[in-house]
Amino acid sequence: MDHIRNFCIIAHIDHGKSTLADRLIQQCGAVEAREFRDQILDSMDLERERGITIKANTVTLPYTAKDGRTYELNLIDTPGHVDFSHEVRRSLMSCEGALLVIDASQGVEAQTVANLYLAVEFGLQVVPVINKIDLPSADVDRVMEEIDRDLGLDPFASIQVSAKQGSGIDGLLEAIVQQLPPPKGEPQAPLRALLFDAQYDVYRGAVLLVRLFDGTLRAGTHIRLMHSGEEHRVEEVGCQRLKRVPVPELSAGEVGYVLAGIKGLSGLAIGDTLTEVERPAAEPVPGYREAKPVVFSSIYPMATNDYEALTKALEKLKLNDAALIYEKDSSAALGFGFRCGFLGLLHLDVVQERLEREYDISLILSAPSVRYRIVLNNDSEAWIDNPTFYPDPASIKEAFEPYIKATIMTPERYLGTVMDLCRDRRGVDTTFNYLAAGRMEVVSNLPLAEVLFDFYDRLKSITQGYGSFDYELLDYRQGDMVKVDILVNGEKVDALSQLVHREFARPRALRYCERLAKTIPRQQFKIAIQGAIGGQIIARTTINPFRKDVTAKCYGGDITRKRKLLEKQREGKKKMKMVGAVEIPQAAFVAVLRTEEDEDGR
Amino acid sequence: MKPNDGQPGLYLHIPFCSAVCPYCDFSVMRVLVSARRRFIDNLVAEVSIAARDWREPRPFDTVYFGGGTPSLLPVEDLACVLDSCRAHLALATPAPWVFLEANPEDVTPEACAAWRGLGVRTLSIGVQSFSDDVLRFLGRRHDAQQARAAVEAAQAAGFNTVSLDLIFGLPGQTAEAWQRDLATAVTLAPGHLSCYQLTIHPFTRFGARLARGQLSEIPEEEKADLFDFTHRFLADAGWPAYEVSNFARSSDQESRHNRKYWDHTPYLGLGPSAHSLAINDECPKGTDQKKLAGIRSRRADVAAARRWWNDLRTPQWERRVAAGERPVEGEELLGPRALATETLMLGLRTTAGIDLDGFTMRYGLDLLAANDALVANLVNEGRLVIRSGPEGRRLVPTLSGLCVADGLAMAFDLPLQR
Repeated sequence: MDHIRNFCIIAHIDHGKSTLADRLIQQCGAVEAREFRDQILDSMDLERERGITIKANTVTLPYTAKDGRTYELNLIDTPGHVDFSHEVRRSLMSCEGALLVIDASQGVEAQTVANLYLAVEFGLQVVPVINKIDLPSADVDRVMEEIDRDLGLDPFASIQVSAKQGSGIDGLLEAIVQQLPPPKGEPQAPLRALLFDAQYDVYRGAVLLVRLFDGTLRAGTHIRLMHSGEEHRVEEVGCQRLKRVPVPELSAGEVGYVLAGIKGLSGLAIGDTLTEVERPAAEPVPGYREAKPVVFSSIYPMATNDYEALTKALEKLKLNDAALIYEKDSSAALGFGFRCGFLGLLHLDVVQERLEREYDISLILSAPSVRYRIVLNNDSEAWIDNPTFYPDPASIKEAFEPYIKATIMTPERYLGTVMDLCRDRRGVDTTFNYLAAGRMEVVSNLPLAEVLFDFYDRLKSITQGYGSFDYELLDYRQGDMVKVDILVNGEKVDALSQLVHREFARPRALRYCERLAKTIPRQQFKIAIQGAIGGQIIARTTINPFRKDVTAKCYGGDITRKRKLLEKQREGKKKMKMVGAVEIPQAAFVAVLRTEEDEDGR
Repeated sequence: MKPNDGQPGLYLHIPFCSAVCPYCDFSVMRVLVSARRRFIDNLVAEVSIAARDWREPRPFDTVYFGGGTPSLLPVEDLACVLDSCRAHLALATPAPWVFLEANPEDVTPEACAAWRGLGVRTLSIGVQSFSDDVLRFLGRRHDAQQARAAVEAAQAAGFNTVSLDLIFGLPGQTAEAWQRDLATAVTLAPGHLSCYQLTIHPFTRFGARLARGQLSEIPEEEKADLFDFTHRFLADAGWPAYEVSNFARSSDQESRHNRKYWDHTPYLGLGPSAHSLAINDECPKGTDQKKLAGIRSRRADVAAARRWWNDLRTPQWERRVAAGERPVEGEELLGPRALATETLMLGLRTTAGIDLDGFTMRYGLDLLAANDALVANLVNEGRLVIRSGPEGRRLVPTLSGLCVADGLAMAFDLPLQR
């Protein structure tokens, strides 16, 4: 067990985590040069394109150290975005150590601190890695100072590398062996294996990625998942080396995969513990937390006959994305769809893009919502994340909405505008601290609902990209919510309804109306677009009808041409959703969801 | 009115002009005497070729010389073509109603007398404007004085209908200038007026100037105001509209030929670019009868039709006629949906509107029931009215409806078979 090191790489977004992983893999010869492509652990196109890691990936690297011994380094890659801290957690649970990557020119950022806290919470040994030392703007001295002061780590234990150029990697590999502890565990004890990720293989079914804390696992072991109670017979165990390599057995301290003929991932709870049916462990691995979706939105196929395809696509996505939850939903305007729960807005974004890109389905999403706790007059309680099911206001005694604790790092010169932003978004108990010369940390308790609505974009915009933001869920607090409906010529478009704080109802409704007015094409009659709370109209815009479109002549030769043009236009109309007799293009639904940022940019 | 109630119309396309106008997108060309002779020979030849396949038994009760500028042709040429029609096709007796398009510079008392002798009953004069500036801008070869003289000569000659073509909505043309044109036209008291709002087509000289930014189209609001004004002015003056661009002093002055294009009455078109339409069993030989029967059989009283069109390039048209072939460039079979779409699209351009009961009978679709929310909105908006009379219910566009007739037709749902 001494020759095993389980570690992960954690970093603020863009600090070069994936590139560093690539270098480590290359250095250990785990992959032939010709097979190599950048960001090898980011297996989805989307990940490579956006430069963020969405799914944690794992690889075992053989490394012969300067002491002459060969070590088995298990690199567990972690997602780099705040939405995916759930995936980060379960990855951290399976490690003893972490490389904390810090950009040599940008220094310690909000997520660097957040990630360090997480690593410490899981009792990991942390090695600070200063990356991008090749950059002209690199300021290693300042970063070392920040490591000392802001992170409380030993700056002299840090390793300086340039993952891009491959320099310093040898030293880093040695530090992994020297500074990080080997795993502990008892191979003879009852089996305890943490399920920290699962992938789906079309031929083999679920591929469970596990970290063994105690005991051994081999083909034929009869396993039970301690939280779900499901039992399976193990078919194969092995190591992840970019490809799966079967081994005779996995033993305490090791990281590997398990195939057990499990058809889908839906019954698997990440963070669950595998044990042996015949000789079960007394306690599961601690620290299991359910991934809780906090953002909800309904997804509808643009074309009604894509519903089947959407159903299948979601099933497949779910196989690889345990955090995604969904159930059937239907809308009068948009037909059948699904109500989905996401870890955050980025998660929503990623799911939408994957559905559209990998499965080629055009989608309409309803406005994202948080989950409200409603106490009714009869003291019964309801959890509402879908405006459609919002109870009659007269029957509501109290409503509660989720709050987050937002931690914002910003250069001092933007402090005023950041404080204003927090105040505008109903932030309370906003405080700030000086981190270092010119750097501030703003902590504010904000309603999550206000963060969903373009908060991050606004923050980036007002701090000219310097601001960073992290949050954790705090609690539920009382709020004065109202349901705002959007009516097109008097007909409610249910997919556009949303729950808003009363204070913001009017401006929000007006903005929606205006955006719709811009994107719904003019028609033959006047279209009234209204925002309403119950029967009360709080915002209104009008789309004026066409006044003149008729062409002057229509004789022999014009008729066929004119009819064909008309048939073509009518074909185009099929891509619109009809509300009453009003044609609403997909763009209108999208426009309503768009952030202000996009609007300014266009 | 059923689609094939009326007698068929005959259209003869004369593609010649003394010069090509910068806004014109018709099949036209400048002409030399020798080319003209050859063209007439070919047109005469096409009459006999087309007659072989034309099955419609009822005689043509209208003959329309359009173009181009048919008035450029010597009377003998027109006579020659008419003789050929009389010889090979069934023309109404004692005589069909003959229409002739003419340019003002060609309309002299002598010419009028000769045309009257041929049986021309409607003379349609391409006046365009009574303003010399506008006429120059349009690249016309006549001036305002000639235009008046032409109208007066035509009226003196005793045609049943004298019709003036006017054009409006030109870039730079003021509302006052157009009002003066209309006032002049009304003073001359023709039986019929066609007022065309300028459309700049891409493949014309105006189109090229528009693309280069040397010309700009007037904004939609102004176009609508001008359209409105034109219709109100002429209605008040005693020339109510019966179609988007056509106005008549009384219903007997309405164009009985052009009407056929709008209600699926059969027509035969000869000459380059001319279009033809045949209904049901009257489809000419060569029509895929099996396919046609298939379209028809789905509903007993549903119409099916065939439309075909000649090559619009005169040299190609001539080559094929000279070889004894039909100079047809394309054709289409029209099933219930296409016919219903056209009925809607064309009917909503006329003040008579659409015969709703006839529509239901013909296509087996209740237009109003299939579009109830839309119709309610459109009636509410004042675009349409539903009028009930002794002849049943009609869906009729208002003036503001006429102004958006293109979009109106598109808004309707027609759940019909192809």
